[in-house]
Amino acid sequence: MMDFLTPVTWADALAVKADRPEAVPVAGGTDVMVELNFHRRRPAALLDLTRVPELAAWGRDGDVLRVGAGVSYTRLIEELGGLLPGLAAASRTVGSPQIRNRGTLGGNLGSASPAGDGHPPLLAAGAVVELASVRGTREVPVADFFTGPKRSVLAPDELIAAVLVAPADGPEQFAKIGTRNAMVIAVSSFALALHPGRRSVGTGIGSAAPTPRRAPEAEEFAAAHLPWDGPGPLDPDLARRFGELVSAAAAPIDDVRGTAAYRRHSLSVLARRTLTWAWEELCE
Amino acid sequence: MTTAIGRPIDRVDGPAKVTGAGRYSADVPLPGLVHAVVVGSRIPAGRIISIDTRAAEQANGVLAVLTHLNLPKGGSVPPLVPSLAGAAATGQTFFPMQDEVIHYAGQHVAVVVAETLEQAEHAATLLRIDYAAAPFVTTVEQGREQAYEARRIFGGFLPGRVERGDVDAGLAEAAVTVDLGYRYAANHHNPIECSATTAVWQGDRLTVYDATQGPNATLHTLAELLNVMPSHIRVVTDFVGGSFGCKAMIWDHPALAALAARHVGRPVRLALSREQMFSSVGHREQQEQQLTLGADAQGRLTAVRHHKLSPTSHFDDWAEPSLGVASQLYACPNYQGVYRLIRANTMTPTFTRCPGEASGMFALETALDELAERLGLDPLEIRLRNYAETTPGDGTPWSSKKLRECYRRGAELAGWDRRDPRVGALRDGDTLLGWGMATSAYPCYQPGNPQRARARLYADGSAVVQASISDIGTGSATAMTQVAADGLGVQLERVRFQYGDSDLPNTAAAVGSAGAGMVSAAVHVATTALRDQLIAQALADPGSPLHGADPRQVTVAEGRMALRERPDVGETYAALLQRAFMADAEAVGTWNPPPDTSGGSMTFGAQFAQVAVDPDLGLVRVRRLIGVFDAGRILNRKTAHSQLMGGMIWGMSHALLEGTRMGPDGRWANASLGEYLVPVNADAPEVVVETVESTDTVVNPLGVKGVGEVGMVGTAAAIANAIHHATGKRLHRLPITIEDLL
Repeated sequence: MMDFLTPVTWADALAVKADRPEAVPVAGGTDVMVELNFHRRRPAALLDLTRVPELAAWGRDGDVLRVGAGVSYTRLIEELGGLLPGLAAASRTVGSPQIRNRGTLGGNLGSASPAGDGHPPLLAAGAVVELASVRGTREVPVADFFTGPKRSVLAPDELIAAVLVAPADGPEQFAKIGTRNAMVIAVSSFALALHPGRRSVGTGIGSAAPTPRRAPEAEEFAAAHLPWDGPGPLDPDLARRFGELVSAAAAPIDDVRGTAAYRRHSLSVLARRTLTWAWEELCE
Repeated sequence: MTTAIGRPIDRVDGPAKVTGAGRYSADVPLPGLVHAVVVGSRIPAGRIISIDTRAAEQANGVLAVLTHLNLPKGGSVPPLVPSLAGAAATGQTFFPMQDEVIHYAGQHVAVVVAETLEQAEHAATLLRIDYAAAPFVTTVEQGREQAYEARRIFGGFLPGRVERGDVDAGLAEAAVTVDLGYRYAANHHNPIECSATTAVWQGDRLTVYDATQGPNATLHTLAELLNVMPSHIRVVTDFVGGSFGCKAMIWDHPALAALAARHVGRPVRLALSREQMFSSVGHREQQEQQLTLGADAQGRLTAVRHHKLSPTSHFDDWAEPSLGVASQLYACPNYQGVYRLIRANTMTPTFTRCPGEASGMFALETALDELAERLGLDPLEIRLRNYAETTPGDGTPWSSKKLRECYRRGAELAGWDRRDPRVGALRDGDTLLGWGMATSAYPCYQPGNPQRARARLYADGSAVVQASISDIGTGSATAMTQVAADGLGVQLERVRFQYGDSDLPNTAAAVGSAGAGMVSAAVHVATTALRDQLIAQALADPGSPLHGADPRQVTVAEGRMALRERPDVGETYAALLQRAFMADAEAVGTWNPPPDTSGGSMTFGAQFAQVAVDPDLGLVRVRRLIGVFDAGRILNRKTAHSQLMGGMIWGMSHALLEGTRMGPDGRWANASLGEYLVPVNADAPEVVVETVESTDTVVNPLGVKGVGEVGMVGTAAAIANAIHHATGKRLHRLPITIEDLL
């Protein structure tokens, strides 16, 4: 038998999670239900978070946006596409319309798949994950959230409350390679954010390492060498070098969807292209 | 007079399907219904040492656990005969759960029956089965050394070797030769509806609701497997959610459902899971082909040597006939085709849309492209130079062939003559563009038995026309309604076509693209027989305005018989029947098919593909597919074009996406729709479909050549040829992967 726990307030949800740390949180169910249906796991309890209204809300909190963990991909696209264009672009590549209606930002983080489509733009934007338990709340940078394939710093009694992220202050791009045009797990993906105000660059790599990860050397290189003062056409060599650095930051493996060599190669192309597109957008 | 045939009318079963009212074989509600779940072997070879069923038997709701130790014995396994023959049509000559031996992974080793599906699924997980594993072969690579030349293949219907002329002499005299090796992944069908059977016994009579391409094939197979008289079995198939060959033959699950139902004394539903669909209903086998072409300096073929190597099961010599169409399409005097097989630990492979035609023609049509390149000929020109005016085998005339018109129209739609033929010459920014073309062809197979239909006209002028055929989603029920309306001379709205029931007049299974041709023949014969019968009655009736008229002068339209030259002289069917106090009139029509026409009769087509290749990433996007087909008479332009379009998109999928991988453990490694890729809407290009109507007086009364599969033949080759035009790369392996293009 499996218990199905249905708190209706955030406080109750945290209390239930503290009481039943083995309970698996479920929101859209687009990952959890697949695992159950394929008998890959049989948790003693499911913790249904769909009735907790706080999780489905988003709003401004000072300089940042606080996006509830229960906000669906469809809402990220429709309601936050202007403020978080990179995340919205990634959300458009998730599954099918039905999956985007059900799947949530928090669920994506909770699953902590190296291939999660939402992770690279959150990394590029420097987002922070807000974790909560009856013990209190803590904020973890997305870059520190993932600890391995399908593993994160989330403690057994914690739930993901929200993502804190600044609205885009420059062009954001997302690119993904799949074996078909939709409904597909990424072979590799890459997100880029330009911050012309502070002359910095954010990156996020997906499906090419045990966890989603940034490419810090590529970020520093681009920040140092992009012609911030006199925006004009991008030097192709600069874009190429950026791509090489992104590729070097990956630690991919061979699997049924693609080889490690292709993942590295494709990342260098995606990084070069997204930087070129973002720079063109900045110059417009 | 034709008024309904050809019109692009909507599907008669469409509203029921889109509203969810349609009942598929796993939807039939029955009082007392219980659920069966099959359990497959985890190993591909060896034997069962023990099965501990105690925990499963004691689980909530469980009614029975059947294994080889207690499965009630029935009749015998019939020979493997394609279901188009109209007889029993077992998918393989092995029936499971007779002993402890394991021949392939997924082989059904137990059936658990419980009150609910969930209880049955749970109990199935409680079975403890210990196996003794044995060495196995599941791939071409593992079995290459033990390959043998097949004496006969395809249920014994085809020889393992075909030769005409002298292929060695033909190659010796060739000015140019190409010798190419091709490799193909295995494929699975993946219809949206998984196979399912609901079985209910009433005394010694069995009713089966089965997802099948042939209700009669299910009936006759069950009769033999269960040792029950055919008269005591009825098979009902109201709706089928696609099939593509996996429901063309009858596998073991319908019999297991019937045996389980008899064992527990309750109606039993057995629905295969998506994963079980990969190891229960056959597949298109992994294969290699070696193709050698020789041509003279003008590009005329002097020799074709085409060998195939593929794994089959331990029970049956099965290979899809990959060499057939490719041997018949072009005028070439010297030919040799050989099938070699490997005994492997898989189930017997089976029909998968374009069984053989798709793979063999991929080889031939890409090799021709290479030959054309070597000779400096346009790909279309080399095909025209080898155009077979008569059948290459014995030189008999084709039943009909407007392939030249297909080439011409397709080239016009594609702008073929205006393209820059140089490799890599076409670009869209950094994207490389390419055009390729290929020929499509699919034989007109004939059923092995007479096809029957019954037509009944009621006194109000409405009609019911019946045949046992199931509509597997092709639109045949709609097309038959049109054929019946024209045969009787009544309005379409007045006709109901009843189908999908073995109690109705006999037809063979809807397979081999033959369904529309053979069933339209029976419906045409039955409805025109009834029309003629009613005309004769009017001519003999002193009360009729047509009394004494010449029957050749009478026509019927909108339910009214009238003189051709004097339309005012006539009366309605309704008036005739009512005057005679007849509630209805009825006729049965039987169509006796001609002997096998597959050698001299084909649906033909020409396909053109435009692809875009991202050279940095190795990504191929098909931008445009153009297909022009000569399929004889088109019964319904909408459903026929949908079939052709679906076939072309399937061909694109064959080229770029589909492949079942065998794992090192001897099990299919990607047995799910998440990992076995089929195209999504976002992959579908612009598809242009046209048909060139031809008159065919050989194949069947209405000259219908069939559209169910031909759309797929040639698509993959056209795409591969387009990729070459874009990139210069020649690809000989399907599916084509990203890494092939880097």
